[in-house]
Amino acid sequence: MNNKVLVIDDERPTLKMFTLLLTAYGYEVLTAENGREGVETFKRETPELVLTDIKMPVMDGIEALRAIKKINPGTEVIVITGHGDMDLAIQALNLDATDFINKPLKREALEKALTRARERMTIARNEEGQVVLREEDRAAVIGVRGNVSAITMPRLSEAFEQAASMGKETMLVDFEKNASINGAGITGLTSLLRQYAGSGGRVCLTGLSSNFRSVFETLGITRFAEIIDRDKESRPRG
Amino acid sequence: MTAGERRFARLARIGLREKLLISMLAAVLFISVAIALISRYILVSSLTNELEMRGFAIAHSVAERGGSYILDNDIPKLLALIFDEARLRQRKDLVTYIFIEDQAGNILAHTLTHPLPDNLRANTLAPGKNDSIMLMELGRQEVYDLAAAIHEGLYRIGTVHVGLNKRHIDTLVGKLRVAFLGFISAVVIISIILSSWLSKRITKPVSDLTRLSDEISRGNFDIPLKLGSGEDWNSAECPAFTNTDLPCWHFDQSRSGQTPAETHRKCADCAFYRKHEGDEVIQLGDSFRNMVWSIKLYRRRLRESEEKYRSLFDSGPDPIFVVDCATGRIRDANPRATELYGYPMDELIGLDFLQLGPEHNTACLNYFSEIGGGCVYYPKRLHYKNGGEPFFVNMHACPISYRGKQAIIIAVTDITELIEKDAQLIQAGKMKSLGEMSAGMAHEINQPLNAIKVGSEFLSMMQEEDLEIPKEHFKEVVNEISTQVDRAAEIIDTLRSFGRKSDLMEESVNLNQPVRAVLSMVRRQFELDNIRFELELSEGLSPVQAHSNRLQQVIFNLVTNARDAINDISNAESGDRRIIIRTGNEDQRVYAEVEDTGGGIDETDQQRIFEPFFTTKEAGQGMGLGLAITYGIIKDYGGEIRINSTKGQGTVFRMEFPAAGTRGESKA
Repeated sequence: MNNKVLVIDDERPTLKMFTLLLTAYGYEVLTAENGREGVETFKRETPELVLTDIKMPVMDGIEALRAIKKINPGTEVIVITGHGDMDLAIQALNLDATDFINKPLKREALEKALTRARERMTIARNEEGQVVLREEDRAAVIGVRGNVSAITMPRLSEAFEQAASMGKETMLVDFEKNASINGAGITGLTSLLRQYAGSGGRVCLTGLSSNFRSVFETLGITRFAEIIDRDKESRPRG
Repeated sequence: MTAGERRFARLARIGLREKLLISMLAAVLFISVAIALISRYILVSSLTNELEMRGFAIAHSVAERGGSYILDNDIPKLLALIFDEARLRQRKDLVTYIFIEDQAGNILAHTLTHPLPDNLRANTLAPGKNDSIMLMELGRQEVYDLAAAIHEGLYRIGTVHVGLNKRHIDTLVGKLRVAFLGFISAVVIISIILSSWLSKRITKPVSDLTRLSDEISRGNFDIPLKLGSGEDWNSAECPAFTNTDLPCWHFDQSRSGQTPAETHRKCADCAFYRKHEGDEVIQLGDSFRNMVWSIKLYRRRLRESEEKYRSLFDSGPDPIFVVDCATGRIRDANPRATELYGYPMDELIGLDFLQLGPEHNTACLNYFSEIGGGCVYYPKRLHYKNGGEPFFVNMHACPISYRGKQAIIIAVTDITELIEKDAQLIQAGKMKSLGEMSAGMAHEINQPLNAIKVGSEFLSMMQEEDLEIPKEHFKEVVNEISTQVDRAAEIIDTLRSFGRKSDLMEESVNLNQPVRAVLSMVRRQFELDNIRFELELSEGLSPVQAHSNRLQQVIFNLVTNARDAINDISNAESGDRRIIIRTGNEDQRVYAEVEDTGGGIDETDQQRIFEPFFTTKEAGQGMGLGLAITYGIIKDYGGEIRINSTKGQGTVFRMEFPAAGTRGESKA
């Protein structure tokens, strides 16, 4: 596993700061000032992790993401979006970006994103998107780790069916810390949740990282499933 | 002044009636006196002659018949004869006595009752004379003594004396005289009556006319006008009196600026303009009456018009001033002026007009004192109320002649509210622009924040991990943070100045400044969209009188339109995507151009592009207010905006402003 990270941003001062920070984290930092440059550098250096801004002249982050995923679909691409610019984030997720961070960048969020990315990278590709069903006394818990995408969907819907057949009052979807979910994953999950929320059972989501949580809220998934914190697991809300 | 002149002047002062009367009387008197004198002379002398002839006739008849008695010396017969003659019918009044004397002078007979006084014998006949007459005195009465010779054959044998009573003759003559005097008096009285009636008939209408004219000249038209024809006015009979719109030859002529019809138009049966058959006095009366009616109509019309305009002046919704050209003081103002400006009327009249608007009114007054042309219009001028509160007005000034002096009539419209509304509209437009920009601006502010954040996170991490930060790294980070903070602050400042509602007062603006301000806000966004700016800003631009942030609004509208035009024909990946902005001076004017490489504008759309709510964008894309607001703002600063565009060749919007201090006023 190489330690290269490619940062694409049209802001030179930001690049400078990133370089310092990521270097301090122990990464080897590559920088590019626009999408086109970024794609070229990616081809040349093949980093496993890419951080890219979205709004850039010449070639924007979305285009760069598309090109990078074309070259190597397994690359962890974390997009950096303006705060509250959820449309772009979702658009990026639909293009298989594995995660996104809001600007202005918080170190905590960056660290988490980097950690998740590293964990995901360590999960073997064949095990990618593992879905594990376990039974608790009041809830059926579906554990999700890695990257939820179109590949994961059949397994996930199977798990939902089994969980529903357990007849528990609550169905809990438990995302692990490193879990990420792309556009196809979101679409699939949404339809599953809609289906089971319609059948009368209580569906809860937990363990979502804050940025995914805000994506879910934006997309209105919270209408079908409650998002609860891990410690309040399966406790009905007042 | 000689006596003659004085007399003449006195004569001139006498009325026509007296003159007529006196001259007629004098003529009549002269004629009748002359006639009387002549006829009296003729009559009196012939009467006297007649009486004398009668006396002689008596004497001769006595002499004829008495001759034989004298020869016979028959005295009784002679006595009887003379008594008969003397007492015959009316003769006794005339004949006082008869006596006969012979040649020797002896009295043969006489009719007196007393002895014959000797003095009666004084009238002697000279030989060869047959008769003579002589005035005698008998006692106390005067007597004409007529002597006639008595002949017998060739010899005179005596003389008959007949005494005619002079008093009787005088009585007769007196009667005659009285008759004449009576006649003359009658003639005079009749002629006085006649002439006074005649002169009255002539002079009464004239003096009536005089009286009427005096009344009319005093402005009293409500007097009965009984002239000649003897009818009074009844204005209800004249339709033109109450309705001045009716055609009437008089109005045709009095309507200024209207040419009367070829023939005088009037009612088919005019109730007032008439001519009677009759003498000159009646004609004069008629024509005077017509004239007065005309004047009456005309005055009524004038009063109506005056009232109309006075009421317009008084009840007009906008202040109107009449300002003296020479002194610059207010001569008259309407109630609305006192209301708006807050001065009482008596204070306002006589006030220096400059006090209401010191900055602008000088130009107005100078315009009239120097050029004195037609009307002039000053938009958006600042005036001050009593107490110094400023407000905006449009001023419209026209030269007039007011009470014989050169004056200016100045109508003022309070447009403060309008300007405030205008400002609100512009503000709303700005808010819309800000809304459009918000995403871009957020991104724009996020960039420096992001750099700052990453830098500071680096520092805090190093500190937490207790790692040594290389000096140059530390310095780099700290400097960068400071730079980025400045950058963010600048963006916020620009935004704030753009969003701020402008004051009503204009400022001096260098056109490059709003251009740069807008670019600082949008440049990055446009570049993200692969639209490049090319700036050709001239240094040393003359300033213009404007509001910087409104000009920013203008530039912003133009560059966003340019961007939309470019996006209409090409996308971010390809094509010529440039916006060129130029500024410069051009003889007293300052211009700015915004050129794009977009799709251009149709000829037909170019005509309508500045109309409100006109948009070439798809429904829901644009309100069509941007360019209308832009146009309004540019016009406010006395500028112009023009389009130069060919379909498919891109577009140039060029705006020009007068350099500060050269802004003229538009002629109204």
